[in-house]
Amino acid sequence: MTAFEPWMLLVVSVLVFCVGLLGLILRKNLLVMLMSIELMLNAVNLCFVTFSKMHHLLDGHLTVLFVMTVAAAESAVGLGLVIAMFRNLRSVDSDQIQLLRD
Amino acid sequence: MITSMILFPLVGFVINGLWSLGSARSGRRVPPSVSGAIATLAMAAAFVSALVARSQLPSDGAIEVECFRWFTLGTLAVDFKLRLDALSSLFTLVITGVGTLIHLYSISYMSEDEGAGKYFAYLNLFCFMMLNLVLGSTLPQVFLGWEGVGLASYLLIGFWYREEANVSAGQKAFVMNRIGDLGFLIAMFIGFKYSGSLDLAVIEKAVLPGAVATSFVLLVFLACTGKSAQIPLFTWLPDAMAGPTPVSALIHAATMVTSGVYLLARLSPVISQSASGMMVIAGVGAITALITAVIACFQRDIKKVLAYSTVSQLGFMFAACGVGAFGAGVFHVMTHAFFKALLFLGAGSVIHALHGEQDVFKMGGLKSKLPVTFWTFTAGWAAILGLPPFSGFFSKDEILHQALVSRSGSGWVFGILLIAAVLTAFYMTRLYLLVFFGSPRMEKSKFDHAHESPAPMALPLVLLGALSLAGGFAGEPVHLPHPEAALSTPAWVIMIVSVVVAVLGATIAYRRYAGGSASAEPATDVFRIDAIYSRVFGGGLRATASATGWIEERVVQGLIRMVAALTDLSGNMIRVLQVGSAQAYLLMMVIALVVMVLYFLKGMVQYGNL
Repeated sequence: MTAFEPWMLLVVSVLVFCVGLLGLILRKNLLVMLMSIELMLNAVNLCFVTFSKMHHLLDGHLTVLFVMTVAAAESAVGLGLVIAMFRNLRSVDSDQIQLLRD
Repeated sequence: MITSMILFPLVGFVINGLWSLGSARSGRRVPPSVSGAIATLAMAAAFVSALVARSQLPSDGAIEVECFRWFTLGTLAVDFKLRLDALSSLFTLVITGVGTLIHLYSISYMSEDEGAGKYFAYLNLFCFMMLNLVLGSTLPQVFLGWEGVGLASYLLIGFWYREEANVSAGQKAFVMNRIGDLGFLIAMFIGFKYSGSLDLAVIEKAVLPGAVATSFVLLVFLACTGKSAQIPLFTWLPDAMAGPTPVSALIHAATMVTSGVYLLARLSPVISQSASGMMVIAGVGAITALITAVIACFQRDIKKVLAYSTVSQLGFMFAACGVGAFGAGVFHVMTHAFFKALLFLGAGSVIHALHGEQDVFKMGGLKSKLPVTFWTFTAGWAAILGLPPFSGFFSKDEILHQALVSRSGSGWVFGILLIAAVLTAFYMTRLYLLVFFGSPRMEKSKFDHAHESPAPMALPLVLLGALSLAGGFAGEPVHLPHPEAALSTPAWVIMIVSVVVAVLGATIAYRRYAGGSASAEPATDVFRIDAIYSRVFGGGLRATASATGWIEERVVQGLIRMVAALTDLSGNMIRVLQVGSAQAYLLMMVIALVVMVLYFLKGMVQYGNL
């Protein structure tokens, strides 16, 4: 089993983060946007774990656990909001949700 | 005694003031006879105090009474201190004496008036303030009185406030006086700066450097031109005749308007230090005497004639002060207080008899109808003309004499005053003939109903008549330093000249108006001074106002509009970015973040940290 070099993991992390970011910016579906946020969070988590392993410290691992907990809560709230929005507007398209602009 | 003299009018003011305030609330009017009696008694008590104080006065000293510490400013402490010397004693006697008579006269003059309580309160307030003015031992105290009499004058000119003209006459008097007050204030500051004290006794002895002395004198004189109605600020006095006639007699003839002469006499040691300042005073006084005498010849309103005459006589007094004969000026203040108060009260009696008629061309033939008024008016007439042995003869003769012979006097001042004296004789004789002689020119019913005034009005007339007759024998009442004589013209020459001059003026008037059937002359504003003032100052003010209005509209508001427009513009520019889509904001955020990261990375590369 080939050991992954840390830089490879970091590259993956950057790529996943970029995918998440682009998804968040470009996709109009709120559900997909939420999923993109999850991707970004997980990219960051990967980054944390990698650095933690590189420096032989536990802080990164602990932070990842925190991030995962908060992410779970966040997606619960986010999904709730999306559902509420769908009930009101019959749509989960982010272009439709521009009430504050007018 | 000095304190009680000043307190009696104050007590009268408080009683009458509170009473008429209270009665205005409850709707019951104050009986004029009662409030008049209170006010008159207060004044009589003050007069007695003044007499007693006079008798206690050491021959060439002063009595000082410290009342309380007025205020402290840093190292300067000003006490409220009353000081009585020969000069202020004379003024207190005139104020309280003539004041008492005029109060007495007012009781019956104002008996029909609803606001009599208020009237007497104001009149007492005036006397209180006037006593403050002449008894004050520091300049701030004099200024307090100076302003106080101005206030009382304003209140009494506009006493019949339901007519707009009266109110604006009061305002005119007040505003004109404010211009003079500015001079007083600045002069006070100069006096303090150079003598280190506000006490009159110290300032009197101060020696000011040349230019400062001149500016001090001119500023004091500016104050006097306001209060004592001299050119250029005299135009308020004729309008002040809008007030009740006793007010004109007391405030605008006998007392308040002479406070300028008092101030000059009080500060005479300082005033004499500036020859050019003295020259201005003499010149302005003489020219005022002449110009207003000319105007008086063209007036139809009996009170206006007397008002211009007052200004003219005040001009005589200032001319006397200007040539250094302060004593002669003060002497004329005294005799003028007697005969001018008498003439005003006589005019009031005539007006009263004719139910408010003031036009001399609608009078005539009143000699037999109003005998007391006629005979006392005759005394006043003879006194102002300067016929011996009436009081005006002595003082006017003294002024003319000093104007000619004094070292600071000149032929010019003397000549101008002489012409003014001819005119004085002319307009007074004209008035006298038109009112009392000839055939009546008013409606017959008015003439038939005309009757002599009641005793409270007649008594002051008789007493003032006696004073006008005999007051001159007292001689110069206050011994102020005499000016050095440059000429040695003997006094009897001037006496003859002044009598000849008076007779000349009277004869011209007699030729013209004794016919009995005087045809009405239009009242003309000879020099149109009011019109010129309103053109120059009123117009100037309006022009300035419209100029500043333009600046306000274009420049100030323009700036504000520019700020608003800039805000609007930048708002519109930024508005483009606010598309409302969360993802667009996110994109901007990411771009900004990337730019920032690149920027810091660049810095780190430059400094070799990376």
